[in-house]
Amino acid sequence: MAGNGIGMRRLLRLYALYARMDWAWLRRDTRLGLLVMGMDLLTAAASASAVFLLAWRFDGVGGMNRWDVLFMLGYVVCVHGLCVLFFSNNVGHVSRRIARGQFDHMMVQPLPYAVQLLTEGFAPFTAWQGLACGLGVMAWALNGLGRVPGALWLLGLAGYLLLSLAVVIGMSYLLGALAFRWPVACEEISSTVVDDLFGVLANYPLSAMPGAVRMALLTVAPAGLMGWFPACALLGKPPLGLPALYPLLAAGVIWGLAAFAFRKGLKYYAKTGSTRYRSYGHR
Amino acid sequence: MQRPVPRAIDPTAIVELRGVRKSFRQKQPAACLRDALRPRYRHVTALDDVSFTVAPGAFVAYAGPNGAGKSTTIKLLGGLLMQDAGEISVLGLSPDRHRIPIMRRMGILFGNRTELWWDHPVSTSYQWKRSVWDIPAGDFAAMEALVLDLLDIRPFYHTFARELSLGQRMRADLGMLLLHRPDLLLLDEPTLGLDVLAKRQMIAFLKNLNARQGTTVIVTSHDMDDLEEMARRVLLIAQGRVAFDGDFTGLRQALGCTRRATVRFADGTTRDYPFENAKELMARLAALDDIADIAFGQTSLEEGLATLFASWKRGEGTSLAAPD
Repeated sequence: MAGNGIGMRRLLRLYALYARMDWAWLRRDTRLGLLVMGMDLLTAAASASAVFLLAWRFDGVGGMNRWDVLFMLGYVVCVHGLCVLFFSNNVGHVSRRIARGQFDHMMVQPLPYAVQLLTEGFAPFTAWQGLACGLGVMAWALNGLGRVPGALWLLGLAGYLLLSLAVVIGMSYLLGALAFRWPVACEEISSTVVDDLFGVLANYPLSAMPGAVRMALLTVAPAGLMGWFPACALLGKPPLGLPALYPLLAAGVIWGLAAFAFRKGLKYYAKTGSTRYRSYGHR
Repeated sequence: MQRPVPRAIDPTAIVELRGVRKSFRQKQPAACLRDALRPRYRHVTALDDVSFTVAPGAFVAYAGPNGAGKSTTIKLLGGLLMQDAGEISVLGLSPDRHRIPIMRRMGILFGNRTELWWDHPVSTSYQWKRSVWDIPAGDFAAMEALVLDLLDIRPFYHTFARELSLGQRMRADLGMLLLHRPDLLLLDEPTLGLDVLAKRQMIAFLKNLNARQGTTVIVTSHDMDDLEEMARRVLLIAQGRVAFDGDFTGLRQALGCTRRATVRFADGTTRDYPFENAKELMARLAALDDIADIAFGQTSLEEGLATLFASWKRGEGTSLAAPD
């Protein structure tokens, strides 16, 4: 609608607002905040260690050498880091917001939902650990591979990271929209998608898998787009003969489907009201 | 099926409902395997052909028993729900199509939930409101000072929302609601759980706001005394229909809330003398012998409504004629 448009300046001011609130949260109990951040850093490093130790012991695993595997793992940690950096506060796990009736709080704000969802989860002071850890692991792997990244390659890396982030958030919203109809059953669905599908499966090198499995993991359950495909493409070996820009196509399709499902879900929500008060509401 | 809307939306009204219907579907527990496979639903009518208008600057009490449809109406006006049939206009706009422009000019408060950021001090929530509503710095400073003083928020302005008492939280929520100078306030049970002092403060503040700034207020509550003190007009809703629309004097008359003189005689017996005209009462009392004492009283709105709601529950209709 005319007059509801949000310019880039306003968007940045909203990002600044949530950054200030994140800083204020950290200052509330600095010791606890630092402890949590330290633990997050350790957890981020540990999430990649099992597969990396296997790859180190056997000089590669799943059709990739140990440094390729390490690069892929660093990439996956980076994507996870970006998820929590920009989509904290249950914005990434939107099914929780829907199922707990928290969408009402968004409906009373004079901002488009997309702007609220894009900005509310920004936590630059308390959620930078995953990204930092992932970048460090990737730098280590590139050093092991003897590669010196150029500006164009770095631009490609940034682009792939954004596309992987779009795939994860798109899948979370696509499946999370089910919570509009079945709130209790679907409240944790985005956790399952983001943490299990993209968190566990994405850590495995898929190069040695049968073609059908790899194709399935790049399409219907696109865990391969969170690490394996982009890592291979960035290392000059796009898998399955797919074009290097395949993640752009996949992200576009997922976002299209997610937007459709979310819009349908919102209409249902406006018809039935906050699920908190329905027979299948959260509480 | 969409019902025909009786007449065009009134452009001078700040709020208007025309023939609004809203029903909900409630799943019933499965009694047998067939129910489990094909669930049974019960349809609950929350609003049934509700129509009313509210003029700018009005202070309207929206009353009714539990489950009457009060909160549903507030949610429909706030765009949190969509009606099944009928038309709704808020500030001349449609809540389901113009959410953003309406929210810039309206404030909505639910007594059973908070809009404050739970893990932040009240002051941070207020700054958040300033940024999200894009309130100019000067306007924000003026309104902030006003609500901090009048609602006595300063003593806990820098306290975390989760550490506030219920009364403090409600005042902080109401204060935040007003920072963007809304033209229309929708308050659903704003005095819920408040102690006497907190309630007095809130009522005085709302009356003042309505009188001085002309803010239109629609408030729901179960406490008729509170509503009577605040509002000039009362809309009584029951089983989804408007049962009464008028002022509180009219409601008293419609409910039969008469004034009465209770006379105690010298022999210890007592007798009530209902009256409307004091002169007539004096004449009747003058004719009596052996009066030991006289006490004057009145059936309260609460008593009258309790009797009325009980009769509605027994299925004795839901109408209440407004006096001419």
